[in-house]
Amino acid sequence: MKRTIPLVICLIFGIVMMVQFFIPHPVSVALYNLSNDWVRNVSAFALVLGVGSLVMYHIEKMRRRRQGWYYSIVALVAAAVTTVVGLGWGVKQGSPLQNIIFSNLMVPLNASMFAILAFYMASAAYRAFRARTKESALLLIAAFIVMLGMVPIGNTIWHKLPEVAEWVLSVPNMAAKRAILFGVALGAIATSLKIILGIERGWLGGSKS
Amino acid sequence: MKFFQYLLKLDRRIIYIVMGVLVMYPLIKPLGLGVTSGPRAKALFDAVDQLPAGKTILVAVDFDPASMPELYPMLAAVMRHAFAKNLKVLLCGLWVTGVGLADRAATEIPPEYGKKYGEDIVYLGWKSGVDAVLLGMGENIKSVYPVDYYGKSLDSLPMMRSVQRLRDIPMVVAISAGTPGYQDWLLYAQARYGSRVGAGVTAVSAADAYPYLQSGQLTGLLAGMKGGAEYEVLVQKAGYSKAYMPAVAAMDSQSLAHVVIMLLVIIGNIAYFVTRRKGA
Repeated sequence: MKRTIPLVICLIFGIVMMVQFFIPHPVSVALYNLSNDWVRNVSAFALVLGVGSLVMYHIEKMRRRRQGWYYSIVALVAAAVTTVVGLGWGVKQGSPLQNIIFSNLMVPLNASMFAILAFYMASAAYRAFRARTKESALLLIAAFIVMLGMVPIGNTIWHKLPEVAEWVLSVPNMAAKRAILFGVALGAIATSLKIILGIERGWLGGSKS
Repeated sequence: MKFFQYLLKLDRRIIYIVMGVLVMYPLIKPLGLGVTSGPRAKALFDAVDQLPAGKTILVAVDFDPASMPELYPMLAAVMRHAFAKNLKVLLCGLWVTGVGLADRAATEIPPEYGKKYGEDIVYLGWKSGVDAVLLGMGENIKSVYPVDYYGKSLDSLPMMRSVQRLRDIPMVVAISAGTPGYQDWLLYAQARYGSRVGAGVTAVSAADAYPYLQSGQLTGLLAGMKGGAEYEVLVQKAGYSKAYMPAVAAMDSQSLAHVVIMLLVIIGNIAYFVTRRKGA
């Protein structure tokens, strides 16, 4: 029963929402709006699950003294402080959450984490990017063209370089991307149908009962 | 031979120092390489530029502070362009970590053009449930956002009287660092509700956007900091803004960073092949 009811709800709503898309009748539109309201409300509850899962994971990690367990203290304290400050003083402009936690902590920390990628990328490219085969040599040449074409120095070196980079992105890159997109789209349709028809049941979680 | 072996085992800290110095130097002493605008940025600029005064554009702030240096200049440039053209700006976001960034833009940029909150700009904030939010906005924005980010009822904001649903918005500019992002706006705002969609994306995800450009689904594209710099240049050349151009200022740094990475790859390959040949 625990599995049958969700499967039936999934089947009914999957088919109804597919059919609804093609019927612009007021009843159909009203059903559609009602479903959207429900989806928004239900998705808000995911926050509770997310917070619960985060807290349980870190408590378990600390309890078992797994590697790096002390970072879990930082994560939990940060989550608790952010929650208390947000609930206590609000989240709007001028609040401690905005001024201190977001603008003075999160923005510089997050930007710094992303910025140091440049250093890791430089080091990794130096050690790992080798033209061992014809394919990797081609990849290397294409990467060089796009890297130079995407910055002003490329134009300074040779004024046609941005155009060549644009061609690499617009022709070979796009051909490959389009093939991937078609594959992903067909896969998404097939997976959606399998979920609606109850063939794919992984989303229910747990083992077969 | 020893030299090449040394190169292969080069201390990564040397690479970090070289990279750091070459990124910082142009920020202190600009090289003045200059930025020329490409066709993708020009297409987005023209699409915004051709909108009649009084129309509303939706600017989606779908990025977090990690991508702020790359994407915030685009957001600022697009908003400056819109205000200079007397367009109204509706801000919202699909990333919860981006709410503060949109708030900053909504607070800092409108006063440059004497624009008032509620009349020329409204910031809706963030709501959970990407698909449901976009579909809901397609039918009735007020049903998803009864109040704006600052808690004011949308009914009390004059700008929102003419903007009821996505169909009332001719242009969406989605500035995205990933998912959810411009693809979601394409899926709903463009395909279902007929708004034109332009995108600003990080350089690493620019290649993913090209198929949507060729199909005509994306009106224009700002790719990475270069895209932001191109838009800043277009806005200044048209006389719409005299503000500092952070993306243009950063382009010299980015140019040198790219050159350094390329040189490192070349040196690494030379050292690798020389030592391999000698070894064989």
